Amino acid sequence: MKRLLPVWAALLIAAAPVAALWDPGTAMAAGAGVAFQETPSLAGRVAEGKLPPVTDRVPQVPSVVFMNAKDKTPGRHGGDMRLIMGKGRDVRLMTIYGYARLVAYTSDLKLIADILERFEVKDGREFTLTLRPGHKWSDGHPFTAEDFRYYWEDMATNKKLSPLGPRKKLLVGEELPEFKVIDERTVRYTWSRPNSFFLAGMAGAAPLFIYRPAHYMKRFHARYSDTAELKKMAEKERLMDWSVLHLSKDRMYTLDNPEMPTLQPWMNTTKPPSQRFVFVRNPFFHRVDVAGRQLPYIDRVILNISLRDLIPAKAGAGESDLQSRYIAFEDYTFLKESEKRYDQSVHLWRTVKGSHIAIYPNLNTKDKVWRKILRDVRFRRALSLAIDRNEINQVAYFGLARGGNNSIIEESPLFRPEYRTLWAGFDLARANRLLDEMGLDKKDGDGIRLLPDGRSAIITIDTSGEKTEITDTLELIHDTWLKAGIKMLPRPAQRDIFRNRVFSGDSKMAVWSGLSNGIPTADMTPDEFVPTRQYQLQWPKWGKFMESNGQAGEPPDLLEAKQLLDLMPAWNNASGLSEQEEIWHRILKIHAEQVFSIGIINRTLQPVVVNNRLRNVPAEGFHNWNPGAYFGVYRPDTFWFAGKGKDRG
Amino acid sequence: MTTPNSPDATLQHFVSTEPFDPKVASKIAPELERYFLASQWKLMWWKLKWHRLAVFSGLFLLVLYGTTLISEFLAPYDTHTRDIGHIYAPPQSVHLFDDGEFIGPFVYGMDYKLNMVNLKREYTDNPNKIQRLRFFCQGDEYYFWGIITSRLHLVCPAEDGTLFLLGTDRLGRDVLSRIIYGSRISLTIGLVGITLSFFIGMIVGGIAGYFGGLIDTIIQRIIEIIQSFPQIPLWMALSAIMPLTWSPLVIYLAITIILAMLEWTSLARAVRSKLFSLREEEFCTAAKLMGAKPSRIIGRHLLPGFMSYLIAAATLSIPAMILGETALSFLGIGLRAPITSWGVLLNEAQNINIVVLYPWLMLPVVPVILTILAFSLFGDGLRDAADPYK
Amino acid sequence: MITYIIRRMLLMIPTLLVISLLVFIIIELPPGDYIESYIAQLEAQGEQANPELLNFLRQQYGLEKPAYERYFGWVTGMVQGDFGFSFEYRMPVSEVIGDRLLLTILISIATIMFTWIIAFPIAIYSATHQYSWGDYGLTLLGLMGLATPNFLLALIMLYFANVVFGTSIGGLMDPEYLNQPWSVDKAVSVLEHLWVPVVVIGTAGTAGMIRKLRANLLDELGKHYVTAARAKGLPGYRLLVKYPLRVAINFMVGDIGHLLPSVISGAELVAIVLSLPTTGPILISALQSQDMYLAGSFLMFLSMLTVVGVLISDIALTFLDPRIRLDQGTER
Repeated sequence: MKRLLPVWAALLIAAAPVAALWDPGTAMAAGAGVAFQETPSLAGRVAEGKLPPVTDRVPQVPSVVFMNAKDKTPGRHGGDMRLIMGKGRDVRLMTIYGYARLVAYTSDLKLIADILERFEVKDGREFTLTLRPGHKWSDGHPFTAEDFRYYWEDMATNKKLSPLGPRKKLLVGEELPEFKVIDERTVRYTWSRPNSFFLAGMAGAAPLFIYRPAHYMKRFHARYSDTAELKKMAEKERLMDWSVLHLSKDRMYTLDNPEMPTLQPWMNTTKPPSQRFVFVRNPFFHRVDVAGRQLPYIDRVILNISLRDLIPAKAGAGESDLQSRYIAFEDYTFLKESEKRYDQSVHLWRTVKGSHIAIYPNLNTKDKVWRKILRDVRFRRALSLAIDRNEINQVAYFGLARGGNNSIIEESPLFRPEYRTLWAGFDLARANRLLDEMGLDKKDGDGIRLLPDGRSAIITIDTSGEKTEITDTLELIHDTWLKAGIKMLPRPAQRDIFRNRVFSGDSKMAVWSGLSNGIPTADMTPDEFVPTRQYQLQWPKWGKFMESNGQAGEPPDLLEAKQLLDLMPAWNNASGLSEQEEIWHRILKIHAEQVFSIGIINRTLQPVVVNNRLRNVPAEGFHNWNPGAYFGVYRPDTFWFAGKGKDRG
Repeated sequence: MTTPNSPDATLQHFVSTEPFDPKVASKIAPELERYFLASQWKLMWWKLKWHRLAVFSGLFLLVLYGTTLISEFLAPYDTHTRDIGHIYAPPQSVHLFDDGEFIGPFVYGMDYKLNMVNLKREYTDNPNKIQRLRFFCQGDEYYFWGIITSRLHLVCPAEDGTLFLLGTDRLGRDVLSRIIYGSRISLTIGLVGITLSFFIGMIVGGIAGYFGGLIDTIIQRIIEIIQSFPQIPLWMALSAIMPLTWSPLVIYLAITIILAMLEWTSLARAVRSKLFSLREEEFCTAAKLMGAKPSRIIGRHLLPGFMSYLIAAATLSIPAMILGETALSFLGIGLRAPITSWGVLLNEAQNINIVVLYPWLMLPVVPVILTILAFSLFGDGLRDAADPYK
Repeated sequence: MITYIIRRMLLMIPTLLVISLLVFIIIELPPGDYIESYIAQLEAQGEQANPELLNFLRQQYGLEKPAYERYFGWVTGMVQGDFGFSFEYRMPVSEVIGDRLLLTILISIATIMFTWIIAFPIAIYSATHQYSWGDYGLTLLGLMGLATPNFLLALIMLYFANVVFGTSIGGLMDPEYLNQPWSVDKAVSVLEHLWVPVVVIGTAGTAGMIRKLRANLLDELGKHYVTAARAKGLPGYRLLVKYPLRVAINFMVGDIGHLLPSVISGAELVAIVLSLPTTGPILISALQSQDMYLAGSFLMFLSMLTVVGVLISDIALTFLDPRIRLDQGTER
């Protein structure tokens, strides 16, 4: 049964307040009608009456994906896509790859309405979200404002389920939003001051979920369900009470509760633990292509769990149709050889982190003498100057990456060359001069500088010891720092011990990933550059202070850190894009001059193995956690299998 | 006594008709005399010499351990020396003749090209670059035995040349040199560990065997418990809890202790069973009657009786130690970089890329195999030699 | 003899208790607990850990209770068949372990059988043809099997199997059979994958067994009764089978006590390298993330397997070897 898309609906889509840019084309041309095509794998169930036909399954105003650019062609239904993962918890990657969000990023990082039909923002503090009419959960139940209300009133503000209140991104300072249900498809959140985390949070790789399948979750909530029943259910699962039961069933992100309805393109059908998880298409998914086919194209996604170290070998043996996780640049040559034998291609995508790995001097370290030295900007500058980034680039990346500070990269519109290059050259003479100037000019018998209290300048760098590229890079850096009179001792540890050491101040210096978002735009939050979280390894105690609203940690007491701290609310309250941009530049400048973290190499390359029959996967792209959701912004629901061939599971 | 068995020889029945004086000592051949007067150790040594393979293995081990004393001298490079221009270089072969002309040992220099399609490093020998090896030459500096610095090496590459007899790894470090340096750690860990095991085993086994009764039962139970523990998981657990903050040396010692902890049980058992059978012997009773303390009886009279057997058993346990260290380091929970041991080297080679593209990095397995073979053969020989009943 | 068996079984109990105590201590030694390492993991990925939630969880799962309370709870639970709760998988440990223990046993048995089948004929040949080239050659081969760190070989063999036979890399069967019920295809797939781990684990044990068996056989063959039988005219073959072989079998069965622990632990190592769905990989990650009940229960299972296996071998030995019955069993 066919049905034409109402013209008014098409116009509505075209008139969305944000340019509805689907990558890479534009949304539906207004006025054209669309005839829906039934999905072959579901046709059987539709005929038996177990599923409504496609016209009733998609929302009345579906999200239409228009594909007419070089990388994207309309495809056909069918096929199983195999992925290889390293542990059972990686099932959550289907939420990330699936990337169905209320608002989502396109691959050029513009925010558009995805699950939402549209959204309106007033003064940056009032958000009105409108759902698509006829949008249903994966079990067929309608998706309405009730699902938002349930989350807000019965979960986020429920004392038992959220004893410390709602998520941080839902608060502006201390202030909770005012939540209102306007009608059965529209909700509104209002704060008295702008909340710039809200939209970006919803579009994140690990998103802010402000809704739940209320019809499902109510069964586990004391307010809606019989307490005796709940107690029995909880006991059956060896859980203490209904709140923990509720928690254990609430798996929006991790997708490891197959009974929970979802809005993602594929839904889990395998209960953990398992070595193999089978995801099948969500029959009520809200996106369609131009030809009226309901997305996703691919019928099933199969996740095979394997040992991490074996995954490059497996990918090289053609056991994955789409693989980027757990393979690294060093596997590229081996993987390339597999192209002939297994009909797959190995692409190289760019990474966009500020620095692949960065060194974080701990400004909150307990050791008084070192703390003073690390806080002296000359020391940090000297350390940065004493790194031969070119050598590291050659050794580890064949010279294909780029050396520089832990700062934003060229693709960001905010980029300026000095942010990358300031204090990032290789200049041992200057480094030595700076250290001499600081008064560390006396040296011991091995040529290592002496600290004011007579100790040799031997600094232990804590690492979480997992990747060989870290060990290798540190070896190279060790040698050049030695020439500047500083001896560095790497100290690997388990992650939680590593973390605790840094947080407590026992650690003086740590190695970790650089900026996770190296391509921000002015309207993205600069919170990575400002003390906001404990997990910022250069100032964990200041971060903790901000995170806990002053309850724990230490208040920032360095001038430049305080400046950064003031710039944050300034950005939040900025009245427009140009003001936001200006604040960004001030922040970036402070960082470039202060070298709060020492960047090494950025723009490294990530191999991506793709089955040759899998279409619509770009040969060039960027591979990033957030924003990017790894494959998410390239919409895996639009990937499809061409040609004939055995689809192995 | 052999009787001549040719068919027509009549059976000779020989009785001497000379006068017989029981008080006169009969003469025996000097070899026999030596034999009867020889100490236990001498006996063992003579028997061992018969066992050719064991002797050969023993010599091999001696040489091997000897090299650990002069590792720095033997290795062409230092274990940390990097040559980033020759990353993942394949092994170079030594030639003697160039174009039919004898010019002494040399290698060809390598040309390097990066294949841009699959980002593979390609090295080709350049027949025009002849790099003669130097002997007793000046190479990387080292701190010999912590006493003197020296730069003397047995063999070095030509000036501005390379000598990667077993290729290089991902940082351009010479594999052969690393194997030589690694031998120090891998070989000595086995020795230190086995010494520990040995002493613990002897003491515990001695006590159990000598005193018997309740003490013996308790100790037996303990041994049984320890032996029931699956080895590798126990090591894993112990290593996982070892704080990685310790200095390399401390970690090394901790690993030996961990390894020794499971090995002493078999030695203890052997000691115990031997003691059981021996303590009823009369010489032991005599010593007791003369007032010797248990420790003296055990230490001075009983133990030497089967010390040789113990040593043989210990020697046979060393391979398990070496394999254990290799396994632990291989799993990443034993020694780690920057310590160099064969296990660490193998851990770095545990990678599909290496298996397929750079297989020379798996060569450290060869010394492991050879060492264990040698220990096994030598231990076999020792045991056969020590067995008084053969 | 019944008393002997009963006595041995009773003795198992204190053994297991002590093992459980040791296991618990080992697991508890590293500072911190599961929640901490979980938080660390989350934060490392840039995901916010919900601290209130996690404190909540900590209370729920009793991580706040003192150590001895947790230990007793665990032990008493184990006796009732409740092995605790896995934090990592958020479900009872027995559900996580599920099939895996079975597969561990499967692999161990397969390996032991492989060891026997290979070691037996080789040892016999070696013993009867002592000092021949065959003997030397086989001894050397056996020793090499002993000396090679076989986990290194594992990766090579995986690759080789993949290139030559097209077997998928790692695992015990092709992925599509993973959660399927048993069928001929599935069994074939398992066999295709099984030989690599069995060979890898088995080589060391085989070599050891060959040597010991050979030594034992040689001992036996040197004994007086053999010479007497030969002098009486018994042909070599029958002679071999009638007595020395029986002794050898005794020895093989008795040696399970040594073989089993090493096979199980070797299996763990290889399982990690080959990504087998047995206990190995889970164990190591449970140890590292301090998923206490899971790791502890695993170690207990493995120890129990070993203890039970040794018990079975001891009992079997009492049937086979009358000396033990009569001696009321001393040492092996």
